[in-house]
Amino acid sequence: MKTMFRAALMGLVLTGSAGFSAQAFPVKAGQGSYSDPGITDDTIKIGLFAPLSGPAQAYGEDPLNAARMWYETVNSMGGIWGRKIELVIEDDRCNANDLVAAVKKLVEQDKVFMINGGSCSAAAVAAQEYVTRAKVPYVMLNASGDGALYPPTDYIFGAISISQRAVGGTAVDFATRHLKGKKIGYINHDDAYGAWNLETAEFTAKEAGATLSVESINPNITDVTAPLLKIRAFNPDVIILTTYARPATLILKKAHELGMKMPIILTVTGTANLKQLVDNVGTKDAFKNFYVQDVINDTPDGPKQKWVLDMYKKRYPELAAKPDHPTPYMPYGIPAAQTVTHALLLAGPNPTREGVARIMRSLTFESGVMAGLISYGENDRAGQESSIFLKFDGDKQELQPGVYVSRWVYKP
Amino acid sequence: MDWQVIWLFLQQGVASGLVTGSIYALLAVAIVIIFKTTDAPNFAAGELFMAAAYVALYLLVFLALPFVAVVPISLGIAFIAAALFYRIVLQKIGSSAAVTVNVVIATLGLSFVLKGLVRKTGVGDVPRSFPSIFGNDTVMIGQAVLTMQDIGILVLAVLSMTIFFLFFNFTRTGRAMRAVGMNPKAAVLVGINLRRTRMLIWGLSGLLSSLAAILIAPKILMTADMGSVVILGFAAAIIGGFTSLPGAVLGGIIIGVVENLVGLFISSRAISVAPFVAIMLVLVLRPQGLLGGKVAVKKV
Amino acid sequence: MPITLPAKLGSLAVALIALIVLPHLTTGYVVYLANLMLIYIILALGLNILIGETGQFGLAHVAFYGIGIYTTAILAGRFDVPFPVAIVAGMLLAGAIGFLLGAVSFRMRDIYLALSTFAFGEAMQWVFKSWDDVTNGPNGMRIPQASMFGFRITNDHDAYYIVLAVTIVVVLATVALMRSRLGRAFRAVRESEPAALALGVNVRLTKVIAFTLSAVYAGLAGGVYASFSSFIHPDSLGFTTTILVLTMIVVGGLGSIAGAIMGALILGLIQELLRQAPSYQEIIYGVILILFMMYAPKGVAGAIKARFGRSAAK
Repeated sequence: MKTMFRAALMGLVLTGSAGFSAQAFPVKAGQGSYSDPGITDDTIKIGLFAPLSGPAQAYGEDPLNAARMWYETVNSMGGIWGRKIELVIEDDRCNANDLVAAVKKLVEQDKVFMINGGSCSAAAVAAQEYVTRAKVPYVMLNASGDGALYPPTDYIFGAISISQRAVGGTAVDFATRHLKGKKIGYINHDDAYGAWNLETAEFTAKEAGATLSVESINPNITDVTAPLLKIRAFNPDVIILTTYARPATLILKKAHELGMKMPIILTVTGTANLKQLVDNVGTKDAFKNFYVQDVINDTPDGPKQKWVLDMYKKRYPELAAKPDHPTPYMPYGIPAAQTVTHALLLAGPNPTREGVARIMRSLTFESGVMAGLISYGENDRAGQESSIFLKFDGDKQELQPGVYVSRWVYKP
Repeated sequence: MDWQVIWLFLQQGVASGLVTGSIYALLAVAIVIIFKTTDAPNFAAGELFMAAAYVALYLLVFLALPFVAVVPISLGIAFIAAALFYRIVLQKIGSSAAVTVNVVIATLGLSFVLKGLVRKTGVGDVPRSFPSIFGNDTVMIGQAVLTMQDIGILVLAVLSMTIFFLFFNFTRTGRAMRAVGMNPKAAVLVGINLRRTRMLIWGLSGLLSSLAAILIAPKILMTADMGSVVILGFAAAIIGGFTSLPGAVLGGIIIGVVENLVGLFISSRAISVAPFVAIMLVLVLRPQGLLGGKVAVKKV
Repeated sequence: MPITLPAKLGSLAVALIALIVLPHLTTGYVVYLANLMLIYIILALGLNILIGETGQFGLAHVAFYGIGIYTTAILAGRFDVPFPVAIVAGMLLAGAIGFLLGAVSFRMRDIYLALSTFAFGEAMQWVFKSWDDVTNGPNGMRIPQASMFGFRITNDHDAYYIVLAVTIVVVLATVALMRSRLGRAFRAVRESEPAALALGVNVRLTKVIAFTLSAVYAGLAGGVYASFSSFIHPDSLGFTTTILVLTMIVVGGLGSIAGAIMGALILGLIQELLRQAPSYQEIIYGVILILFMMYAPKGVAGAIKARFGRSAAK
């Protein structure tokens, strides 16, 4: 565990821009007056927010917990440049008006130095205009947030788990290269996520000379007969589902009932709890030709994820004892917080908002958590754009070779 | 699209639509019986149904009780809980103002409380299910595929709706309930206990929600937000006429089938809007719904 | 203990001064909340005309709000129409569609009216979400920076006085409206349609006017919202928003202008404060609603009236 954690901390060596001594963190803090709010000689204030109530609580609470434990760990090792991180936590309710209220409270009332948060893309996008005008560095939590990342702005960084563009693109890539599919049935949601992942799915399918038949469904659908019959009539080689777990379960069940035997790929949007997925579908026979996408570097209980799990159990013993905890989204909170701490570290002893944002625009590091590097670039505000695929037969997950990296690039 | 494909689409679309439609119908019946006797739409109908599903899940999966014990216990709990809500909250509201909209807001409050409670348990986040009573073996009807679970839902839904229908028309208590719905003042005059009857109705509605939950949970899966499906129950009720039990059943089936046909022949994107367009069409053409009686002039 | 006229005027003056100095004493966050609450006041006043005054359960309020937002945003953003003109256009379009909805549904009553308008609201949300070319669909739409009467609105402070002025005008107009013949016709229809007919009120026309006016209010609220908000997403234009506004006017006191205003403020505050109690907030909010209905069935305005006599809540 120690070594993995250490590796994660030291990951930012990859940026090649920091001279490190044996010590993980320089301890000498800067002194004097600061041009930006939220920073003193021995503290730096960060606003942390996520949906902590209502329907989206499950998406936000544990990633926020993970981010918090990362910040606490950094504090326990002496903080950054001798400054302890002070967190101000807010509930954004996964809703545009409330998220903007939370952000404005953090920036204007609590006077934080920078903000880290948001699990819902549509809500996170709503803060874009304000954050850009106020020039506050904003790192999303586990929201993919594509809507606020393209076109790129100077202060907003997201897709720490994976961008929706990369979800659709890498799934089609896997379907055409690994499974040799030429005709692909594609079921997505009729929401923003669906629109984003479809964009790159079409791009990648065109690249590979494959044809796509698309059905866009409402996430609350109760009967999936119609979209699935239409997909069956298209007679695809592979089916890709970019839906949430509930519709995905209904589709898997129905596909099995209708005797559809082609491979089905479920993207990370719906893979939250595979054991529960099998229970819900009701039969392992439905999983004979089934693949799942993942965005972390190992299976959730695999050796590379152990340090995250151990840290969580130690920090939140009561939560860890609850059913379905930690949630599968929990680890995503760590690279989000790492983006913040790494950038602060690299920004030197007297960081400014401007300086931190500039560092982030070229930040690249290995998180020790995710499938690919967290990497930003001049036109790229999406942190993570790689995924792995596992074959899942209802019991075991078998890692498929290769890490699939999205080839879609934003063209201004 | 050639004719063979269209014919296949029609068969499967209608068959699956009938099953989902009977689910909406069950929910619609639970809404209609409350509306008939208390004149208020129950905005917590979906959450009562959701909470009932979690009670059954808890008994079945976490306490590992057998199905024969789970069904009566869950129905009993739902009955008592709903009746208590009427007794403690609604009776007070009813006696002070008798304004429908207050009941609406109070039931809305209940819906928030129930969702919050289920989320508090921590099991409401991941979609869940419990084993279906009937199993998932498939049967072919024409070219349409259905599971035993589907057939079971259809049969039990029709059966329980028939029982309710008979209960309302041919038993003393049932008739008393209808009398309360038609004219509360007259009902009191002939010796019916208004409060007790309404409390019983709320209990029965809870019981029906619980029954629906046990039947449907394996099919549509449970989350703390599954109550939203009840919107389609409302749609079914309104299309059928809102005060008519057979109307509610008819409305449910129409919506189930229309959703599939729209999905198959128009677009999957349009499925979610189809029920609302259906409501508007029906109400513009026939403001009292398909099987609703003449609209009575009433003061809200 | 009746409240005297000077006392009333005095407290109004104090409230007005407080509202005017507010942005100088607080942060942008508070001003943003104040702006949102003023929007809710306009929405609540509009819904109150339809439900509280006329007794027609139209539940499509959020659809007109959405029409106002999108019309303003599209006209100002894509066609460079000046913001005030765009807002008026949004009001007119919302009013026109409200007129049509009222004209087709005036035959319906009670639950049928409630559910058919609810269905219309849901269908409109679907349109906002699916008409990609116009609304940018599920991606949501950015709203350009507004500039009105020569100065740009770049933050909440800039917007505040405009939103406040609009709200005050709306409140005054509503008071005048409710004291007019039309206002009396609304209430006559609510109390009894046959009686209203007997009094010579054109019931049908009155209902359609109530629908139209209520839609105009919502369209105006949407346009003003667009002037200080930078983004709109169809997710926030769902039934829950209509229900929130309905809850405001019921908690405040149906059929009372003061009630609609107090309801908007009280629920706006409760919602914001509850953000500090994340995992309990649904339960607390639900219990608050239930308690309000049990112990203040005629709303806050009704409770005040009962406590202080007739003059206070009018």
